[in-house]
Amino acid sequence: MKKFVGVLAASALAAAAWAAPAQAAEVRIGYSIAKTGLFAPAAPSQINAYNLWAEQVNARGGLDLGGKERRKVKLIQYDDQSNPGNAVKIYEKLITQDKVDLLLSPWGTPHHFAIASVLERHKFPMIGSTASSVQLRNMKPGNIWFTTAAVADKLATAMVGLLQTAGVKSVAVLTNQLPFGQENKKFLMPALKAAGIEVLVDADYPPNIKDMTAILVKVKAAKPDGVIGLAYPGDSILYINKAREIGIAAKFQYLLVGPAIGFFRGMFKGAADGIVTLGHWSPHGDNARSKAFYAAYKKKFKQEPDYLDSVEAWVSVEILEQAVAKAGLDKDKLRQAISTGTFDTIIGKVRFDGVQNAVTPTGFLQIQKGELHVVWPKDRQTAPLAPKTGWK
Amino acid sequence: MEFLLSGQLLVAALIIGSIYGLVALGLNLIYGTMRLLNIAHGDLVMIGAYTGYWLFTLAAISPVLAMLAAGALAGLTGAALYFGLFRRQLTGSQPIERIEANSLLIFFGISIIIQNLTALAFTASPRTYQALDTLVRIGEVSIAQSRLVALAVCLGLSAAIVLFLRFSALGLSIRALIQHRTASRIVGIDVDRVQAFPFVLGLAGTLIGVTEQISPFMGFPFTIVAFVVIILGGLGNLAGGIAAGMVLGLIETYGVALTSANLRSVLIYGVFILVLILRPEGLLQRRRLT
Repeated sequence: MKKFVGVLAASALAAAAWAAPAQAAEVRIGYSIAKTGLFAPAAPSQINAYNLWAEQVNARGGLDLGGKERRKVKLIQYDDQSNPGNAVKIYEKLITQDKVDLLLSPWGTPHHFAIASVLERHKFPMIGSTASSVQLRNMKPGNIWFTTAAVADKLATAMVGLLQTAGVKSVAVLTNQLPFGQENKKFLMPALKAAGIEVLVDADYPPNIKDMTAILVKVKAAKPDGVIGLAYPGDSILYINKAREIGIAAKFQYLLVGPAIGFFRGMFKGAADGIVTLGHWSPHGDNARSKAFYAAYKKKFKQEPDYLDSVEAWVSVEILEQAVAKAGLDKDKLRQAISTGTFDTIIGKVRFDGVQNAVTPTGFLQIQKGELHVVWPKDRQTAPLAPKTGWK
Repeated sequence: MEFLLSGQLLVAALIIGSIYGLVALGLNLIYGTMRLLNIAHGDLVMIGAYTGYWLFTLAAISPVLAMLAAGALAGLTGAALYFGLFRRQLTGSQPIERIEANSLLIFFGISIIIQNLTALAFTASPRTYQALDTLVRIGEVSIAQSRLVALAVCLGLSAAIVLFLRFSALGLSIRALIQHRTASRIVGIDVDRVQAFPFVLGLAGTLIGVTEQISPFMGFPFTIVAFVVIILGGLGNLAGGIAAGMVLGLIETYGVALTSANLRSVLIYGVFILVLILRPEGLLQRRRLT
């Protein structure tokens, strides 16, 4: 009997071993992200989008590889602890040791910037998401692309347009010293000057700022029509708390990154109403892909997607999937497909000119009665811009 | 420049100053009575902040109640460190210099362990929560309730501790210990009872956690500030330390308002170095005659 069981077990093992190669290996897709550290509050928006996509691709039977076969995907994730230096090491490891088939992007401009050289060295194409950089664009790298319409120079022009529409004649500019904030400021200041909008307060602050009272007391005394906070999520939270406490009464108040994250509106309830932020997507439009994404995200995570970061991450995987369907996993063919193709996404058609999204216009969102609406550009508006009236 | 006359700025300076004063008071007592250089001081503040955060997030307990629990937890941690690590050293016949040097190294290690255990347990991600956020108006100044509570508790507690040390028998014996360690030991003063003092750190931690971001590494800046305040106020001078906390709060708030938020650390360290050079016995300490 024992012998029989042994034979049975051995033959089962042999059968399993024989059957294994028939199951094609998964497509391994790696990325690093700020799971901990300064940027951690922002990362779940992006991680969720990636996970939802992987789940949907596998439910469809896998990723279409150049029309030849479909293989399931497996995501490999590392924590870069919000440190761009770690991201460099991780992407190096993903490419050389883990030997992943594809890469997804990390969170934020500093990390994209840091890993661009790794991608160039290994000629490994990666579609960026939650980042943009004029500086990087000018270097003309060939293996990274930015899905976003929020590039600092385009943003400056759009911001001036929005300010003029809102009748804002004077502003306070508060800038987080991280690269995205700084680059925004670099292009915004001359644009404001050219448009005759007076800058009454110009204050820079460190990323880990703990108290904004001193800055906001100056803003209150200067009584600008608008406050432009070139902020990240942590200091966006700080701004709302302090501006509410001090009673900043400007009719236009803008925070660069943060208010589009789902928890933000929940955290402040009515107090965040009227805040304007960066973003060019809203589920209120008539894009079918967009509606499907919104519904699936909300169903899986029991919360709304981040209108900026979840969206950019989703667009990046939509483009990746379509490019791989055309070119397969060969890096050179894939690079060619991404650079020259036009892709269907939840923000409409996207085509790249160099590293930059050449189609989507730069936009702004505003929190209105707890919902985010596109208020700029006018032809994509889901609601008109409204002045901020108090803090409730 | 008229923004410098804003009541809002003054209140912010007083709040931050009162927090600095209370945190430094804890350090002053521990160093004063036992000559232990507690580098892990700020980490007890951090423990208090997390206690407040979790009690509010999981059980909707108000920070006003949570700070008592946080105080108890920090007090227990402080006492456990003392009885587990330092008591034997202190009761031995080692010279004070060696106790100081050893405690500095030991606390340095403890600080790293506490920070990283917290990061392992709760991740290193910063957290915030909205509690006591109703606005209170006093004249032209409006303050969030949480910060008003922080101001009241820190000032009240600091005053109570100073009065206790001045007028109660135990308090007097503690002061005797600070002034003359060996003599106080000869007359039989019980050092063990001072160990509960870190409770003020837990309390302060909860109050700080309501008003700013919480992370496993938030404590270290408070350790630094506490040392700066003690140097300013004079070692062992408790009332002086509280006044020095206020002075540092004013320097920081008005300094940032006049210059830039990027210079906050420069201001604090700058004051520290200046005082060490110009008046090493402390700004508020009377010069010793001997």
